[in-house]
Amino acid sequence: MSAHRPYALLAEITHRCPLHCPYCSNPTDYCRATASVADPEAGRRSACPTTALTPAHAKTNYGELSTEEWQRVIREAAALGVLQIGFSGGEPLARRDLPELVRAAREAKLYSNLITSGIGLDDTRVRALRDAGLDSVQLSFQSDDADLADKIAGAHAHERKLDVAANIRAAGIALSLNFVIHRRNIDRLPQMIELAEVLGAGRVELANVQFYGWAFLNRAVLLPTREQVDRARNIATAAKTRLAGMIDIFYVLPDYYETRPKPCLSGWGQRYLTVNPIGDVLPCSTASSAIPELRFENVRTRDLDWIWRESESFNRFRGTQWMPEPCRSCPQKEIDFGGCRCQAALLTENAANTDPVCEFSPNRAIVDEVLRNVHSSRNHAHDWTYRINPSAPSSFESSRALA
Amino acid sequence: MRTTAISGSAQPRLTNGVRLQTDSITGKSVLLHPEGIIELNETAHEILSRCDGRTLDEIVQGLAQEYDADPKALATDVRETLADLHQRRLIEYA
Repeated sequence: MSAHRPYALLAEITHRCPLHCPYCSNPTDYCRATASVADPEAGRRSACPTTALTPAHAKTNYGELSTEEWQRVIREAAALGVLQIGFSGGEPLARRDLPELVRAAREAKLYSNLITSGIGLDDTRVRALRDAGLDSVQLSFQSDDADLADKIAGAHAHERKLDVAANIRAAGIALSLNFVIHRRNIDRLPQMIELAEVLGAGRVELANVQFYGWAFLNRAVLLPTREQVDRARNIATAAKTRLAGMIDIFYVLPDYYETRPKPCLSGWGQRYLTVNPIGDVLPCSTASSAIPELRFENVRTRDLDWIWRESESFNRFRGTQWMPEPCRSCPQKEIDFGGCRCQAALLTENAANTDPVCEFSPNRAIVDEVLRNVHSSRNHAHDWTYRINPSAPSSFESSRALA
Repeated sequence: MRTTAISGSAQPRLTNGVRLQTDSITGKSVLLHPEGIIELNETAHEILSRCDGRTLDEIVQGLAQEYDADPKALATDVRETLADLHQRRLIEYA
């Protein structure tokens, strides 16, 4: 028995989404993902796939894993020790077979979370998911204010989410509200917490935006000021105390403003794994876009057990042997694990470096420079780039994007 | 901690969205909730596996009999454990 066993599987079952949030952590380059299906060997080294390279199934379903393939992945995950599964994306409701996947999770005794925008979750579907054994729904909101929320989402979504929250509650499924916090909405934190109270949520996640994928692209617009961050921290702390025992408040720190890095994933390849829409298995959901030199295994060619234990990608940053200085001799190395590999790769172009958020990192100046520029960029909504969907023929109806 | 505020006739139960389960890898009891997993020690497991409609007093009496322990001391343990779980919204009272 290996010392490491995974506890949670993030199942990114599709990258399609009706919303266009500029803070999305999905990869900005879906072409590479599709390319690896078309030609696994050429995979990530190739540019956008040509039509000739794309197999028939990839044309119709974006190369996404089939229902049967996901059911097998779920069984293999449970056998490895996984206890929880998060159905995520993209928007997981874009897949009509979601209840079948939830049922497979329940049969494998996994605790299932649906991480969703709520768009498409009508009363019938909520009850189908509940009957399949869904344990919990994490419903995203972009703000408490409809106009601002819809501007951020790039779609008319807010009012529909309010109905969805009521449907979830009526079906008796545990409801969490997830807010991603950034410069444009951070000043409405008290109102957002109030919305959670009104909607009867048992839990609220107030997550300062983390800069990966589309959020990295839009960092200059999304990064809050230090004054905003300090106020938000106080508001969240006070709300946590006030609502203790009623609403569980989970506050994700704005790590650029911290002096020590986040203990990302509780260590690489220690507790978590992600399977993306095309079946690539990742130690972290952002690793495929942030660390291009890593080669990931696919569930179509390897079983999950082998990938978890033996693959180069899962072993690359496991434990502490890979660490350079200053991590190697740092007493914190078993506490923060050197921070986030994706962040090190994105900011320093070397995934093995100490997370530059750390005050001991020789690259901390990179983060400080970004923070210094926060006041100089007075950006407005039109300055950010909305997330777009993977380009492939689709019958999936997306919400009308705001012009 | 206000461990005495809860009446002995209150019925503690798992909050909606919280599951008590055995981890098949370790054989240990775990609480599964929206944000994660909590491995339970034996005391917490014994208490939570009795949160099935029984009152707090009944849980204490049952444990006192089974473990041949002093009900008064046991009641403090049970109340403290439940207060902690309640604070973390893992149990609620009916």
